[in-house]
Amino acid sequence: MSEDLESQLRTALRPIAPSAALEKKLIACVTAKAPLAPPVAGRRGRLGFHPRARWLSLGVAACLLLALGIQHRLQERHERENGLEARRQVLQALRMTSQKLDLAYEIVKSQSTSLADENPGA
Amino acid sequence: MRHAKIKILLALLAPALAWAGPNPRLLLPDFTALAQKASQAVTITLDPGLLSLAARFLDGNDPQDAATKEVIKGLQGIYVRSYSFDQDLAYRQEDIDAVRKQLAAPGWNRLVETHSKKTHANVDIYIMVDNNQAIGLAVIASEPRQFTIVNIVGAIDLQKLHRLEGQFGVPKLDIDAPKTAH
Repeated sequence: MSEDLESQLRTALRPIAPSAALEKKLIACVTAKAPLAPPVAGRRGRLGFHPRARWLSLGVAACLLLALGIQHRLQERHERENGLEARRQVLQALRMTSQKLDLAYEIVKSQSTSLADENPGA
Repeated sequence: MRHAKIKILLALLAPALAWAGPNPRLLLPDFTALAQKASQAVTITLDPGLLSLAARFLDGNDPQDAATKEVIKGLQGIYVRSYSFDQDLAYRQEDIDAVRKQLAAPGWNRLVETHSKKTHANVDIYIMVDNNQAIGLAVIASEPRQFTIVNIVGAIDLQKLHRLEGQFGVPKLDIDAPKTAH
């Protein structure tokens, strides 16, 4: 029973070469759906953009990139200026602190010296 | 009614403020009028953002820059107001007293108090310590023709600051032990 079914399936699923009529039919169908004329080369690009629009968009993109680059450069320069100014202020602040600490030291030192002069035996 | 609301708000905020702990940042008065009278005015306000920006521009290969970078590492702010005048006592003592009053608050300790009879210069150095770490430094220096207030906020390593004095060409100062001279 099962052998019979198997042979039936094999017969049904065997590879069959297409007939010449089918080949003709397919070619006729493909030819009928093909475009009548190719797109006008030179006037429109592959994506269908007008060349002038394409150049314009490229120009706009280039300008945007340039503007971004300039802005980045200006920002960098501004940050550098701020950083150098902050550095200058830090150094100045610490220098002034040191000067005042030194002033305190000088006063203490001069008073210790005068006390020692007043009491040489001490 | 409005005052009552403020009082209630302050009463509610008081525990939070007390919990916040001592604040080493001084409220420096507006010295704009004084700055106009001064022959030279220095106003430096460096918050944490500016300090970290400055640190990026300090050259680690330069000894002075490297030492400065080490000092400012744990700092949260440096505030300096300094005014020089062409004549004696052109500034009001009250301007300085307003700052001095803040240094009477708990947390601040007077490290050095000096007064020179010869030059009439007074220099007071205050420090705020929290958990054995200096978290604030204040210097008030008043001379006949100049007064300077310095407030450094943050974890100050006095040893590093000490080392820095030499870097700036200023003799080293012994600030390890509190001193008082009148």
